Amino acid sequence: MQRAVAAPTRNPRLAVVIGRLLASAFLICFATGLYSHFLQEPLPWMHFATSPAQLYQFSQGLHITAGIACFPLILAKLYTVFPKLFETPAITGLGSVLERASIALFVGASLVEITIGLLNTYQFYPWPFGFREVHFALSFVIIGSLAIHIGVKLPIIAQYWRKRDGYAPELAFTEDERDTMDAPLIDALPSRLAAVPGARAVSGVTGRIFAWIDGPAPEPALPADQTRPAPEHGGSGEDPDLAFSSDAPPSHQPHPVGRRAFLATIGTGVAAVVVLTAGQSFAWLSPLNAFAPRVKGIGPQAVPVNRTAAAAQVTSTAMNQDWALTISNASQSLRFTRAELLALPQTTVDLPISCVEGWSQMATWRGVRLSELVAKVVGNDAAAGSQALRITSLEKEGGYRVTQMGSEYVGDPSTLVALELNGETLDIDHGFPARMIAPGRPGVLQTKWLSTLEVL
Amino acid sequence: MATRSSKAMTVARPILIGAGVLGLVLGAVVMVSKQSPVQIVGVGLWMLGAIILHDAVLSPLVLVASVLVRRASRRPASASVSSSAQSHSAQSRRVWRGVLLIVQGAVIVGAILTLVVVPEIYAKTLGTANPTILPSDYGLRLGLMWIVIAAVTAITSVVYARRSANNPADDPADDSANNPADNTAKNSPRDTP
Repeated sequence: MQRAVAAPTRNPRLAVVIGRLLASAFLICFATGLYSHFLQEPLPWMHFATSPAQLYQFSQGLHITAGIACFPLILAKLYTVFPKLFETPAITGLGSVLERASIALFVGASLVEITIGLLNTYQFYPWPFGFREVHFALSFVIIGSLAIHIGVKLPIIAQYWRKRDGYAPELAFTEDERDTMDAPLIDALPSRLAAVPGARAVSGVTGRIFAWIDGPAPEPALPADQTRPAPEHGGSGEDPDLAFSSDAPPSHQPHPVGRRAFLATIGTGVAAVVVLTAGQSFAWLSPLNAFAPRVKGIGPQAVPVNRTAAAAQVTSTAMNQDWALTISNASQSLRFTRAELLALPQTTVDLPISCVEGWSQMATWRGVRLSELVAKVVGNDAAAGSQALRITSLEKEGGYRVTQMGSEYVGDPSTLVALELNGETLDIDHGFPARMIAPGRPGVLQTKWLSTLEVL
Repeated sequence: MATRSSKAMTVARPILIGAGVLGLVLGAVVMVSKQSPVQIVGVGLWMLGAIILHDAVLSPLVLVASVLVRRASRRPASASVSSSAQSHSAQSRRVWRGVLLIVQGAVIVGAILTLVVVPEIYAKTLGTANPTILPSDYGLRLGLMWIVIAAVTAITSVVYARRSANNPADDPADDSANNPADNTAKNSPRDTP
């Protein structure tokens, strides 16, 4: 009988290896997601960095890319532990009920979170709830259940954190640890591990099926005093393979090919989904962008669009000859036509439009420095940089028709009321007659079709 | 050492679990404050659907596929008597298993890409708000991707089989003296069409 070749991959060491990667991706998504959330809904005391100007382009690109990478990783993680699903008996008491419930919550929330996130980037919303609110709430549920999961599995994680601990010659567990060492091995246990009291082969349905395929388990054939080979070979998170003793037939040993193939498959899967989509966020990968929902350089004036003038119902108001930008504070109000704005000193900046959906596009903008405009109302240049603004668009409706801009952006010399894009008059879908462009802000806050600016 | 680590364990575990419960409570508070009961039921149904999809559909499918691959990996069976023939058949079995693993890996990578791209193809059929959203022909690209994966898999399998035949000693399946060079064939990146 050939033994344990197709998948010597479902073991606690591998679950820890994949789990670390998945947890890292989750934490990256959580941190970048919180940053994006507070940029859009800042608490009163919050101030944000305006440089580097591409900070949000990077952080949100990372958010979406790490989220996409979660698909192969979460499937791999579920695969490494999936005998647990079929374990019998399923329930052994209140503890196991709680554990199963928390795992169900963790798995369910994680799958829903990455799925709605992905579909949102396709602007496809087949669910009966608000995306932003639920995506935000579930992120806490996921990080919370992740912490619980790590807490519950800590002995196993600690045991298998380093590969040399994974299958050490003598595995000594305390009574408590042994009780929690319930991660099953689906294959024949490596001889050293099989010799350890308390180490269990997989139980339940899958264990029986594979035991039936593979035939009876081999006798541990290693003398206890055999020295372990030095782990001289590196590799991507692999455990050292066990030396075969001369008197144990190699066919009766789980060998490393399956595990290596598994890791190679997961690595390739992650690389494939990342490399073939991240080009919407990162310019150096854009030649390989086969599957992302956005493509750099596609759109009017080579910049993608999220909301068109037609969708915002501004086609007539934006083209109206009487349009003027109103800038006001408590004491006075000034109006500037587009011709008057063009007559003011013009500044040119290179800034990205960075969408919350992950795509971004670097572009060259030309227009009037915002702080110089604000200074005309406030009456002195020095104070202009310490003012916050309320910005109103010509849009008929929408969550971002009225937004606020913190003083850190108002005072930044690269924040413009833009009149030109990539050397041409601003396209109406990019906000003609005038739009806001500031460093390090989400695209939804780069208000198009400006109407009024109120100094707060 | 053991006492210290178990001490750290007894401190760390309650902290982690406590922090986790706080996270759950925070998530619940955000959910209740921002969504109506009907919407919250919707979230619950989606989570339930995800779990059912995984536990009752995907897992059994993967289990069946694992069983089939596992059984297939036992062929070609050997019933030889001479030791040289036996080693030869063991060799061919190893090559067969390696090729099977390469094909299995390729199918998995293709399936993951398909999983991500199919909703995109469907979303495009529903129409987009403007032409800069979902601008490409994703169905065509997915088809090309499968062709590329098939080609890369075939090449990788042939290279693997030849190398295994030439250096039986270097075969990673042979023993624990694994040679990092053996990984290169299986790690070859599948690139874009």
